[in-house]
Amino acid sequence: MSLFSSLSVSASGMSAQRTRAALLVENIANSETTRTPEGGPYRRKDAVFSTTPVKSEFASELDAQMQTGVRVSSISVDQREPEKQYAPGHPDADANGYVNISRVNPAEDMVDLTSANRSYQANVAAMSAVKDMIQRSIDLLK
Amino acid sequence: MDGISPSLERYMDLVSMRQKMVSSNIANADTPGYKTKDLDFQASFRSMLDGGGPRPAEVQGLATKNDGNNVDLDREARLLAENALRFSVASNLVKGQIQQIREAIKEGA
Repeated sequence: MSLFSSLSVSASGMSAQRTRAALLVENIANSETTRTPEGGPYRRKDAVFSTTPVKSEFASELDAQMQTGVRVSSISVDQREPEKQYAPGHPDADANGYVNISRVNPAEDMVDLTSANRSYQANVAAMSAVKDMIQRSIDLLK
Repeated sequence: MDGISPSLERYMDLVSMRQKMVSSNIANADTPGYKTKDLDFQASFRSMLDGGGPRPAEVQGLATKNDGNNVDLDREARLLAENALRFSVASNLVKGQIQQIREAIKEGA
C-alpha cells in the first residue's frame, strides 16, 4: 500500500486545472477578437474533465478502485451563433455594417478562473498533506 | 514487525487509504458525474483487524451539483486535516514502540 500514487492523483488534478485556467485566460484575451484562422470571431473554449485510472505497476485492483485521477478529455468550443454588433467602419463588417463578435462573457470566465485557482490550491494542499505523511513514515526509520 | 502493535499498522494503512480517496475527491472536484469516494472507517478497521479488506461506503447527505458531481471541498479539507493528524498520532505511537525496543536492546548489551 503506497502513498506515492496519491501524489500522482493530486498532480493530475493540478495539471487539469492548469489547462482549464490557460483556456479561460485565452478566452478573456480574445473576448474582442473578430478574426481567427478558422474564420469568424473567436469562440469560447472550455476544458471537459473526466476521471482516469491511476497507472502504477504496483497498484492493486483495490487501489485502482479507491483512487482515480482526472484528465482533460476534450476541449469544448462554443457553437452558438456569434453576436452581431453595428460597426460600419470596422474592416470585418458585412454589407449591412454588422460585425460578428465573440460570445465570450469575461465575467463568466473570471468566475471560472477563480474556481480553477481554488481547485488548484486544494490539490496542492492535498499533495502537501500526503507528502507530510510519507515524511512521517520515513522518520520512523530514524 | 514483532513487538509493534499490528493494530497500529492496520490503522496507518487505513488512514493512508482514506487519504488516497480524499486526494481523488479533490482532484475530481470539477469532474462531471464524479461521486465522492469514502470508506466506513470503523467497519473497515474492524474488518482489517480480522484480516479482511476495507469497506467502501457511499457518502450520504452531499448536495449533487447540476453536472452530477457531489464533491464537497470543505468536507474534503476537513478529512485531509483529520487524516494528517490521525496519521501523525499513529506514527508517533509506533515511534515510541520502536524506541522501547531499541532501549531494550541497548540495556541488554
